[in-house]
Amino acid sequence: MDVLASLQYLLSGFGVATTPENLFYCLVGAIVGTLVGVLPGLGPIAGIALLIPATFNLNATSAIIMLAGIYYGAMYGGSTTSILINVPGETASVMTCIDGYQMARKGRAGPALAISAIGSFVAGSLAILCMVFLAPPLAEAALAFGPTEFFSLMVFGFVVLSNVTGASLLKSLMMAMVGLIIGTIGMDPVTGNPRFTFGAVSLLGGIEFVAVAIGLFGIGEVLANVEQPTESLEQQVLVPRFRDLYPTLQDLKDSLGAILRGAGIGFGCGLVPGPAPVIATYASYMVEKRIARHPEEFGHGAIQGVAGPESANNAACQSAFIPLFVLGIPFAPPTAILLGALLIHGVNPGPMLISEHPNLFWGVVASMYIGNFILLLLNLPFVPLFANILRIPKKVLLPLVMLFCLTGMYSVNNFMLDLWVMLGCGALGYLMRKWAYEGAPLLLALVLGPKLEVAFRQSLMISHGGFAIFVERPISLVFLLATVGFLFLPLLRRAVRSLTRGRAAVA
Amino acid sequence: MAAGLALLLFGAVTAFLSLRLPIGTLRGPGSGLFPLALGLILIGLSVCHLVELHLTATTPPTDTEAHRDDGSAWRVLLFMGVMVLGTAFLTVLGFPLVAFLLMAGLLYILGVRRWQRVALIALCSAVASYVLFVRWLQIPLPKGWIGL
Repeated sequence: MDVLASLQYLLSGFGVATTPENLFYCLVGAIVGTLVGVLPGLGPIAGIALLIPATFNLNATSAIIMLAGIYYGAMYGGSTTSILINVPGETASVMTCIDGYQMARKGRAGPALAISAIGSFVAGSLAILCMVFLAPPLAEAALAFGPTEFFSLMVFGFVVLSNVTGASLLKSLMMAMVGLIIGTIGMDPVTGNPRFTFGAVSLLGGIEFVAVAIGLFGIGEVLANVEQPTESLEQQVLVPRFRDLYPTLQDLKDSLGAILRGAGIGFGCGLVPGPAPVIATYASYMVEKRIARHPEEFGHGAIQGVAGPESANNAACQSAFIPLFVLGIPFAPPTAILLGALLIHGVNPGPMLISEHPNLFWGVVASMYIGNFILLLLNLPFVPLFANILRIPKKVLLPLVMLFCLTGMYSVNNFMLDLWVMLGCGALGYLMRKWAYEGAPLLLALVLGPKLEVAFRQSLMISHGGFAIFVERPISLVFLLATVGFLFLPLLRRAVRSLTRGRAAVA
Repeated sequence: MAAGLALLLFGAVTAFLSLRLPIGTLRGPGSGLFPLALGLILIGLSVCHLVELHLTATTPPTDTEAHRDDGSAWRVLLFMGVMVLGTAFLTVLGFPLVAFLLMAGLLYILGVRRWQRVALIALCSAVASYVLFVRWLQIPLPKGWIGL
């Protein structure tokens, strides 16, 4: 597919995205996303999961337009709390706290908020543009993938994700295993045999991944907040005035480079497995600090320290849609939830998605562009409004979140068992937080589990039971070699370090 | 340590239960093969983890955490307990009543102590969620004996 064809499809995508109905859902997604980003204790993962039931009556395109809006909307909202109260609304805004809050303390909250919104918009738009030209050829290349290649790619994804999340690779890998095991509950995807259902009909459909997502990432987070001392449940919020919001020309000039670099870093991070927006913000901050003319300003309110990471997380969250739409394999929990939503709506993403559902793909891509524009408009003038939401004390907010989780979960299947799974996973999520286990590999494994198993068993059937097939196929071999590399890189690094330390001790 | 042991147990139970499923052969893998492999890998990983813990267990770093424990673990337990109770009585009492009681209980645990305030917030959120979910979004939440 050439460039012109892509542009033509994109235009038709705008036709899909600008119907009044889809514009409305895009707006709803953007607003909910901003709220989710602003409210601590409710991240994009739980936010998307909770809103899935609201999309049941919609067609797949409108549903994904809205749910995707929540994801990138949260990136905009998250910066607000980081800058105003030094509390990241979600994990991708942690780096913004450092210089954003310092800027706010110096009375420059307005420019910080504005530059993060502008940076997010510019980076998001650039990432979408790259996606338009990159996704179709990638999908064509991915047509060469058989079950063997998909299996190796998924294994690679798990290992890389486990490697970059959390402190311990071993712990993250164990969580991935737990997720895969939970994913085997229910009917065997190949033969239809019931597994681990203990005779219960309600378990035949498997464990509802929405329940696990809300439990681990919604309730677990609320419980972690409950544990904090009561005094910390109240906080003072400084709401900036409307006319203080606009950045000076100098601010824009200072941050332009950081925004563009952030967009590039973010786009790259989104393409590889891992919690892309989080890693992208971290990488961007480090780059900005290293190449800055005045690195000593970082940590004391350098505007590049806000512009870079905020642009990076938005670009990353746009390009994270590429693996989902092109391969049908999400590389991180938020896109994994979107995969679940697509499956609920009867769309099975993979290399054929773009050609089979052009309206869905191009409509969603075009809506992202519109959504970014809506968010820019929404965030600049309405920041004081969103900041006021933070005045709701946490001791009122947390019970409300719980009530919402309970009702939202029930509405997915009208099923009591789901509520118990959610509560159980909530307790699990809380304990995992305490013991420094990561939830991301578990959730991703749960969603991808059935796909992984089908790919594994099909490969074995193709090869008549020989494992050599995984290394005989070149693409699969490359993924497996990379996997082995990622597994042993930390070990190697540790060995080298202890060796040099030993040598130093001898000397 | 406890988590490592729990994971070891989880892996063992998985492996054991999958042995009772048809394993099949590598040529024609049955339902039990994949979970069996997962269970065995999890056992292996958790053993590695336990060994690693054992080797590095000279200084337990959790000491400082335990000291600032000021009944906050109790608050989490109570909070969760109210959620469990609310879920257990959802079908019997019905959604609107449970929403009110649940909110009141959770607010009290988090330190909202003036009863007028607790009642007001709980009532408002129960009514609002009832209107939003049951009336507007038409979700068939349990009616219970109040029959709303």
